[in-house]
Amino acid sequence: MAFIEMKGLTKRFGAFQALKGIDVSVEEKEFVTFLGPSGCGKTTTLRVLAGFLSPDSGSITVGGEVLSSPEYVVPPERRRMGMVFQNYAVWPHMSVRENVAFGLRYLKLDRREQAARVEQILASMGLDGLEGRQPAELSGGQQQRVALARSLVVEPSILLLDEPLSNLDAKLRERMRSELKDLQRRTGITFVYVTHDQAEAMALSDRIAVFREGTVQQVGSPREVYEQPANLFVADFMGLVNKLPGSVAGRNGEAIAVDIGRHRLNVVAHRDATGTSVTVAIRPEAFAFGEGTAGRVNRLSGVVTDATFLGSIVDYQVDIGGVTLRVQGERRSFCPVGSNVVLTVPVGDCVAMPNEAEEADPQRPPPGQNAE
Amino acid sequence: MREGATAASRPRRRSIEGSTVVFATAVALLLLCVGYPLLWLVLAAFGVPTEFQFGYLARVFTRSQNYGALINTLVLALGAGMFSVVLGVPLAWAAARTDMPFRRSLQALVALSYITPPYLTAIAYIILLGPDAGYFNRILQTITGAARGPIDIFSMGGVIFVIALHVFPFTFFMTYAALRSIDASYEEAARLLGARRFGVLWRVNLPLVAPAITGGALLSAIDSMALFGPQAFLGLPAQITYLPTRIYGVISAYPPRWAEASSLSLTLVLLTALGLLLQRGYLERRSHTTIGGRGLRLETIRLGAWKWPVVAFCGAVVFLSAGAPIAVLTIAAFSRSWIAGLTPANFTIEHFEEALFNNQIAVRGILNSFRLATVAGLCAVIVGASVAYIDLRTRVRGRRLLDYLAILPLGLPGTVMAVGVLLAFIRPPLVIYGTIWILLVAYVARFVPLAARSANATLRQIDPSLEEAARISGATRLGAVWHILLPLARPGLTVAFLLVFIPALSELSATILLYTGGTETIAVAIFRLNDLGQLEVVAALAVFVIVVTLLVSLPLNRLTARSRIATAADVQAM
Repeated sequence: MAFIEMKGLTKRFGAFQALKGIDVSVEEKEFVTFLGPSGCGKTTTLRVLAGFLSPDSGSITVGGEVLSSPEYVVPPERRRMGMVFQNYAVWPHMSVRENVAFGLRYLKLDRREQAARVEQILASMGLDGLEGRQPAELSGGQQQRVALARSLVVEPSILLLDEPLSNLDAKLRERMRSELKDLQRRTGITFVYVTHDQAEAMALSDRIAVFREGTVQQVGSPREVYEQPANLFVADFMGLVNKLPGSVAGRNGEAIAVDIGRHRLNVVAHRDATGTSVTVAIRPEAFAFGEGTAGRVNRLSGVVTDATFLGSIVDYQVDIGGVTLRVQGERRSFCPVGSNVVLTVPVGDCVAMPNEAEEADPQRPPPGQNAE
Repeated sequence: MREGATAASRPRRRSIEGSTVVFATAVALLLLCVGYPLLWLVLAAFGVPTEFQFGYLARVFTRSQNYGALINTLVLALGAGMFSVVLGVPLAWAAARTDMPFRRSLQALVALSYITPPYLTAIAYIILLGPDAGYFNRILQTITGAARGPIDIFSMGGVIFVIALHVFPFTFFMTYAALRSIDASYEEAARLLGARRFGVLWRVNLPLVAPAITGGALLSAIDSMALFGPQAFLGLPAQITYLPTRIYGVISAYPPRWAEASSLSLTLVLLTALGLLLQRGYLERRSHTTIGGRGLRLETIRLGAWKWPVVAFCGAVVFLSAGAPIAVLTIAAFSRSWIAGLTPANFTIEHFEEALFNNQIAVRGILNSFRLATVAGLCAVIVGASVAYIDLRTRVRGRRLLDYLAILPLGLPGTVMAVGVLLAFIRPPLVIYGTIWILLVAYVARFVPLAARSANATLRQIDPSLEEAARISGATRLGAVWHILLPLARPGLTVAFLLVFIPALSELSATILLYTGGTETIAVAIFRLNDLGQLEVVAALAVFVIVVTLLVSLPLNRLTARSRIATAADVQAM
């Protein structure tokens, strides 16, 4: 049995079914991220885990003890968890020291021990010298550290983080990201992290749970969810992807042939792709220009219709006969607009999936908005 | 709770949290102070507990003393409403859109007119415009040579005049807010199309703010119906009764005619509710005729040569509504005899000695008023904050209803509230009539909406995650409230306390029905001493009340800015 077991969690707010049966388990010392667009249920799940909400059905056990069930919810203060809020929730009427020391009063430690712990955590978070400051006198990054120090000083077994980096500017976000990862490795605390930013999720997590409309679509390592997405939604959400509708021309177990426009591609079939009409998903960076590649590859010829120089990469639109592909190429080998090109892509990078349901989620962000 | 059987398979059973006890107590207090009296008020109108019939309600319209009072009340409301427009709209325009000097002071003085208890204004005008000896009437007498002063304040006109001076701030503040929300582009567009400045004012500005003006006038009219003080001080000597004074008469009769009083009260409530419904309708219309938000530009009109006439008009209005009454009360308070006016020979401070130290009723009244206002303020804040907390921080069933119950008394005149409280607490199981507790209940009931709204606005500004952060750090719900919410809400809750303390200190309309020997308040002392004709001592008490009220109101501005709550006018406007 895993350290944290969430089983069949459902939660309804009035007419809105926020959670439709969430099953996720988290191992001890693991860094797990709940990833998904807004309104997908990731924050609700985190709040149920924290004890702020009671589930309508389902249960949460931590270390074998039932913490949440429709019958009884252990209140947040008895869960030995820490939480970092999106807006930091640093108490504005208390100094940095008072903020950090707050949780210690409930641990029944003597004064010296309390002071020592505060001292130590402030030093390790790089906050020494700021003990007497009021939160209003701190920068966003410093407030963030205070929030972290406050939740870590009580040595929780689990730390919950609700979009903690979303209010920081890009540079600071990058730095805090690596600090968080480092912190988790150092302390060995189980982290449950909520974000809508897939790049953040991939950079930080041991495993990612992709949420959509109150359900978990896939749980896996960053590599798994990126390379073997459970469905088109996950593929889309994890990064840029070409979605090419085609019809199945032949089938040999997992390997199938799919007609897309005038091309026939050999692709790997997802286990649910059993129909005759499928969508083939190919990441833009899976393509290579030119014939050169060995191994099992598909060859496609086309014309460059657009090329955007993005610095480290070049973003192309390639027309392969009625179908436009998005392709990312290297800066060194630039293909000008209008040039005829040949593209190769490994068979293993072409995945046939069942077509998306007609009623796609309108709230979904544009595909791969964070891929660049 | 049979815990033993399932304890093995289940975690700890739900235990009752400390916070639940606190909030349940607050809810019980609210139900006791507001719900229970209102229930009695409605039942008693049908003759309960001795009988059940509709005759008493019918008697409101068949007995001439009753419908006479009803008609007088309507005339008063209409008159005060219209008069409030005449006074409030020009002042609002001058303060909002012109370069008139003293614009800021004008707002403060208008607010002062509202803060001054209206019965004190009435007393001031007895001194100024009493038909025989009023200062102003005597001047007119000298000029015209008439035997009697030409103006009689003890008349319908007098009541309307004095009440309008108290209620016109509603119209002023609402019109002011509306005028401040019209972007200059509207006016510029009209000017470009050829309208003259006056045409713009008439065809563009006025229609845009008309709903606000009407809304303000309606609020003024509603409030005027409830003002027992001026109605009694100026109406009763001329035998002009209004619904509140009629209810007072019916209750003071021996034996008290409860059913008739309740029926009259319900009629008054109905009128108030109708007015508030209308007012709400106008407010909704306002919301889509004017624009707000950032980037608002206001056109300021240069008055030029008109500057001093406008200042003179505005000055005259606030002189009548605040300056003259306060000045006249001060003069009377320091005069040996008020009729002689303030001369060195006539100067004395003995009335203050009498009012503050010697007169038993006055001294007791002052003590009682301070005690009551303090405790009522605290209770109202506890109840109001609890209701706001339940509404904003929990998902308890019926929390909206609770919220509504806490706001409801805003639409109930003090006299009506008093009848309900009297009916409820003069009989078992809770007999507190004859004690100071019945006044406390009435004050909490009357003023809890002010505290509830202010607390609600305060709690809304405090992000729930701050309390959640405390919970996850180990604090119980009550701990989070105590260590996080209360310290952060303190400025807002202090405002809530003062908003209750100030009107409670000089409350008259409910008190007059509920006090007994020993539980007199300042207002009762003023009322009784006025009956005895001791106007100088009354004036001394009045000056004391006004000074205390002003001193207590001083921190309001600073605190309100700190907790960013609506202005007093918004608090009043439901």
